[in-house]
Amino acid sequence: MIGGRRPLPGRKPADRRVRVERPHSAYFRWTGPGQLTAKEAAIRPKTPLGRLWADAKAVLIGRPLASVAEIGERLSKKKALAIFSSDAISSSAYATEEILRALVLGGAAALAFGLQVSIAIAVLLIVVAISYRQICLAYPTGGGSYSVSKRNFGRTASLVAASALLIDYTLTVAVSTSSAVEQIISAVPALAPEQVLIGVLAITLITVANLRGIREAGNIFAVPTYLFVFSALLMIVMGAYRIVVLGEGGGYEAEIAQASETAGQVGLILILRAFSSGAVALTGTEAIATGVPAFQPPESRNAAATLAVMAALLGTLFVGITFLAVNFGIVHTGGASEPTVIAQVAARVYGDGTVPFLLFQSFTAVLLFLAANTSFNAFPRLLAILAQDGFMPRQFALRGDRLAFSYGIIALASVAGLLVVAFGGVTHALIPLYAVGVFIDFTISQSGMVKHWLRTREPGWARRMTINAFGASMTAVVAVVVTWFKAPQSLLVLLLIPLLVGMMRFILHQYEGQANELLVRDDLVIPGPHREQRVVIPVNGINRAVVQAVNFGRTIASDVRAVYVTDDAEEGERLRARWERQLPGVPLVIVESPYRAVVSPIVAYLDVLDQAWPPDADAPVTVVVLPEYVARRWWDRVLYNQVARRLKAALVGREHTVIADVPYRRDH
Amino acid sequence: MPETQTPAFRRAVIALSGAPSDARIVRLVAELARSSRTEMVAVHVVEIDWSLPLDADIAGRSEDVQRVLDMAEAITEELRQTLEPVLLQARDVGAALVDEASERDADLLVLGLPYRKRFGGDFAIGRTIPYVLKNAPCAVWVVREPIPEESS
Repeated sequence: MIGGRRPLPGRKPADRRVRVERPHSAYFRWTGPGQLTAKEAAIRPKTPLGRLWADAKAVLIGRPLASVAEIGERLSKKKALAIFSSDAISSSAYATEEILRALVLGGAAALAFGLQVSIAIAVLLIVVAISYRQICLAYPTGGGSYSVSKRNFGRTASLVAASALLIDYTLTVAVSTSSAVEQIISAVPALAPEQVLIGVLAITLITVANLRGIREAGNIFAVPTYLFVFSALLMIVMGAYRIVVLGEGGGYEAEIAQASETAGQVGLILILRAFSSGAVALTGTEAIATGVPAFQPPESRNAAATLAVMAALLGTLFVGITFLAVNFGIVHTGGASEPTVIAQVAARVYGDGTVPFLLFQSFTAVLLFLAANTSFNAFPRLLAILAQDGFMPRQFALRGDRLAFSYGIIALASVAGLLVVAFGGVTHALIPLYAVGVFIDFTISQSGMVKHWLRTREPGWARRMTINAFGASMTAVVAVVVTWFKAPQSLLVLLLIPLLVGMMRFILHQYEGQANELLVRDDLVIPGPHREQRVVIPVNGINRAVVQAVNFGRTIASDVRAVYVTDDAEEGERLRARWERQLPGVPLVIVESPYRAVVSPIVAYLDVLDQAWPPDADAPVTVVVLPEYVARRWWDRVLYNQVARRLKAALVGREHTVIADVPYRRDH
Repeated sequence: MPETQTPAFRRAVIALSGAPSDARIVRLVAELARSSRTEMVAVHVVEIDWSLPLDADIAGRSEDVQRVLDMAEAITEELRQTLEPVLLQARDVGAALVDEASERDADLLVLGLPYRKRFGGDFAIGRTIPYVLKNAPCAVWVVREPIPEESS
């Protein structure tokens, strides 16, 4: 074969043909005039170690997906419901308990208000869900409250909303994982010493599943979510039948008679406390609005529909479980060994220790564990939007091999893992920080929607604005109450929000500064280079690498000089003699270094060269050409080029200086 | 085999000319290959004028020529199939296609035919297709593109 063309005989001599090799086709594909698209082989590492790592990564998280596959990675409504709702729906497993634990302080009479409090929270849930449904439709690019507040209130409010959300998503992972681990430990107490380790392992597992891509994570996590939903709905139906039709239960009946008389004694503070505690049920409602672009088209409508189903399910489960708990007279005083409220309800309905009871308990534990998964989808997406807007490092906007926002996923896992370690995996220690941010976020987003309706005046704006205004004032009250009752730890969140806002502003400032520095005016026609160039080549003698570097230097400038640093003048002179003989026309400067330093004298020599340049002329570009010997094996790299490396480090960022590596390979 | 069934082919050579009909025939054969595991070879022949040496560096340098085969490869990948692209330089397209199909022991050769009329209104079939129909050792499918509305 000559020059990539192979002659082939034909049936007749005149029918000869030539097969033309296509070397690009292994790695690239021409997709348009002057446009190549890289194939998977082009990103395949070339070294054996690199290939080994790529293969290991492929086993762990799957083979890389092309960007065009992104649409195939979008979520159907069924999968999205499982992925984005696990946080919200899992809160139905503990929200009732939060209410009863608050009300138990007021005695049995106060407990009777449990159902009313849950209905009030469900009303708030409806308002918040309507608001977020509107956000899905009005802001289809995702980002939820961040996008709403950016459009309607400007930068600061949007960054506050984003910070509150980022904090809350991180805490959701830490809290839900710790809580799930505690459930495991209550079943197997021998695992107690490994509480933190199990928590970190759990986060690692969810991280890996999410790095495999959103669709695959959906496949993994959908089943447990639906199992919990169906078994909880079945429990509610069975329990309600026994209470309403069979007349079982009775709850705090004896006290209910006194309830109306004692309502005043129960006190507004206690009711408010129960309301704010139970309002944790709303956490996670915002996640769908953040991740609208993850849905299959039409994204906004599918997201809005999923949100409606999620709110309906959450409301039904939450009020239903509370209804059963109140009617069965279930209490929870907060004792460590005391069964959870949902476990007590399940024991009453399914029968304590029965197979359905045990199954339901395991579904609940798995769902609590998976609640973290919602954050793993919403957090990286929000981070990506912030990165696109310049408020976060740009890497967060990049999709990984499986089209997931890998950097965001790893960042979330790292911070949440650190929190689990720092707080010893104890849910109780993390809870005071939880749910503060999300209510600040609800308030900002709904207030933003009030302004949105005032601005757009779309049909039905007055009604929608009223709903949002009501929701904003309610969630503002809850935000204050939650912060108040969870103080002083909750104040840490209030401290973190401005810190995050400040950090994001700083990052934007840096990016804007860099963009201004690099800006090329649109109308500018770039003239040819007019500054002079000179080449300085640090050498260690005469060898093939040096000769190659000198020859390269000669191709880019006429002013080429070599610099040899030595502490032995005689050796320098010997080199000079040989240099003049073998490389005539290239001056060699010998710098004697009595203190044996190599790098500093070269930098100092460059400084002197610059100072010697006429001050009224444009400074020349100094190209420092570094001869480098390319090591054959990874382990012998340490033997070569150490001075060149140090020199490079010393010259990076030096004014008017370009560093050029000229690698010499043994096979040349 | 009942006559109503689509015949199964082992190896199909798809002749690409760079015309819009290329995508259609690649898709057609790829769909067929999906069910019958037919091996696909896409061949694009660049005709070299007698004034130039046959091995002149022409096809390898042309983006347009490469794009013809890359497009075919992209379509088959989209359909989760594989296709071997072959780029040839020859004096005569028909002879090169027939020889390539013979050498590869292909049992199907598929060509696209744009609907064109000669001056005077007669349908123009060109010289490649008649040559292939006459000389190809295997089955030949000619897929003519639909008649453009203004011509009908």
